[in-house]
Amino acid sequence: MTSGKRDLVILLVLVLAMATVPAFVGTRYIITTLTLFFIWTIVVTQWNLVLGVAGIFSLAQMALFAVGAYGTAMLGYYFGMTMPPAMLLAALATVLVSLVVGLACLRLAGPYVALLTLAIAQMLYLLVVNDTACFTNPPSGCMPFFGGVRGFSRFGDLGFRDLLGSKWYVGHYYIGLVLLALAVAFTILIFHGPLGLAFRALRDNPGYAIARGVGRLKYQLWVFGLSAFFTGLAGAFYAVQFGVVGPIVFSVSMLLFLLAMIVVGGIGTIWGPLLGAALLTLADETMREFGDYRDLGLGLMLALFVILLPRGLAGVRGLQRPQG
Amino acid sequence: MTAAPPLLVCHDVSKHFGALAAVSQLSFQVAPGEILGIGGPNGAGKTTLFEVLSGMNPATSGQIVFAGRDITRMAPEAICHAGIARTFQLNASFDSLTVRDNVRVAAYFGRDNRRAPGLKIGAGTEAVTDAALAAVGLTGRDREIAGRLPVIDRKLLMLAGAIATRPKLLLMDEPVGGLNAGEIDRMMDAVRAVAAQGVTIILIEHVMRFLVALSDRVMILHHGAKIFDGPPEGLVRDQKVVDVYLGEGASQRLAALLEGGLA
Repeated sequence: MTSGKRDLVILLVLVLAMATVPAFVGTRYIITTLTLFFIWTIVVTQWNLVLGVAGIFSLAQMALFAVGAYGTAMLGYYFGMTMPPAMLLAALATVLVSLVVGLACLRLAGPYVALLTLAIAQMLYLLVVNDTACFTNPPSGCMPFFGGVRGFSRFGDLGFRDLLGSKWYVGHYYIGLVLLALAVAFTILIFHGPLGLAFRALRDNPGYAIARGVGRLKYQLWVFGLSAFFTGLAGAFYAVQFGVVGPIVFSVSMLLFLLAMIVVGGIGTIWGPLLGAALLTLADETMREFGDYRDLGLGLMLALFVILLPRGLAGVRGLQRPQG
Repeated sequence: MTAAPPLLVCHDVSKHFGALAAVSQLSFQVAPGEILGIGGPNGAGKTTLFEVLSGMNPATSGQIVFAGRDITRMAPEAICHAGIARTFQLNASFDSLTVRDNVRVAAYFGRDNRRAPGLKIGAGTEAVTDAALAAVGLTGRDREIAGRLPVIDRKLLMLAGAIATRPKLLLMDEPVGGLNAGEIDRMMDAVRAVAAQGVTIILIEHVMRFLVALSDRVMILHHGAKIFDGPPEGLVRDQKVVDVYLGEGASQRLAALLEGGLA
């Protein structure tokens, strides 16, 4: 069995196991926490394609997530579009935005990419919160074009409240699980296919990769475009899951939380981001009662991992296997 | 090798870095199937010439025509697709990738432009990869990580990568620098095997035993210009080459080597 097939089988087993969870666990809190875990896992697996597999230090991923979330909310709010097509359209818009970000980063390397992408994310954030002119004036009050600091709500949902009543969140759990399965399967196919090879070659030695026919500009655009689709879709799903989208999705602490998942799990590996997302979600929920000490705890964990396990959980002996 | 049109024509090629002319109005041709050896003191512009030919560092002026196409200003990946592959003086590899993946990259991306890459690597690419690994004697070492290989194997892996792009012209920059005598013989066999496939080769080397044994013709550069262009036997009789590059001692040893009929 090739390692690509083996990874797909592991994914299938994991997804089937997760699919049985709502049968045993009735608590809404646990189901919605797991749904959020699916959303973050989608984002970190896609971000890892850029950051770990292609070695491009982009910090634009949460901004792309925001494009997906805002796109969905705005299509629903302004055009009354039903959610599934709005989510798909928003995901495609995310791909376009990501390609533009990728183009802007083409001539940069290393930390300069991080600086530029962070600047782009902050610019989008300021665009949203600084625009206070009323675009529409609904009964609830002045509504700027991008929703301002308040953001969007009541832009539609997936209809599970009508279908399942008070158990609507179980419907969202399965939607999240399906999206996660698709996103990880997509990552596995990319990773083991020719594109993954090109990304890793350019990461290891760009000069040598170019000399072997792998054009840097072209494949940098590929990775930016490919990693954006499921990120945007995750953002879109986040919007319908919470029924509200505000500028909090741009927050730096959110960005760092997700970055920590990749680092803790193992950057550049298939399963690392997933492991990291699981561990940090668990840690975050456990430390929820400690208030401000929660950030301190997360910071401590991150520091310990960087020092003791620089290759993350996936780099631990025994979990490793040769890449074939 | 007179009738066939030349595979590579360099016409008045110069490469300036500020006021320094690393390569200065250099003109030469390479016939299909030929092995051209390039020698010369450090700083003579040998590696710079490879940088210019492979598009890594395009020429300041002049023209390079390869297989009838002007490649002077082409991007390095496009030059690779056109059929020029290069190995590097310092060992270059994709360090975290396996031996097999290192060659796969070249086999998949080195020949075709791949406007839209597929999801599968494909049997054709795997066959080319197998052949390239076999050609340099790395068969069966597929799963080793490139960054952990010993020097000779890294050099052979780099050669396998170059072969996997299925080039018409192979540029080799000091393929045996830092190797011991046994390893030099191994590399010599590998290069002969590549040449036997009909690949034209230009090689830069300071190890004269290697250079004269393989080359049909030798070109000596000095300060970016050609001071000698002829059969290897002519090297020791050329007073300028002896003065500038070989020195008396080395040229006597080389003369003895040539008389011994090593080639």
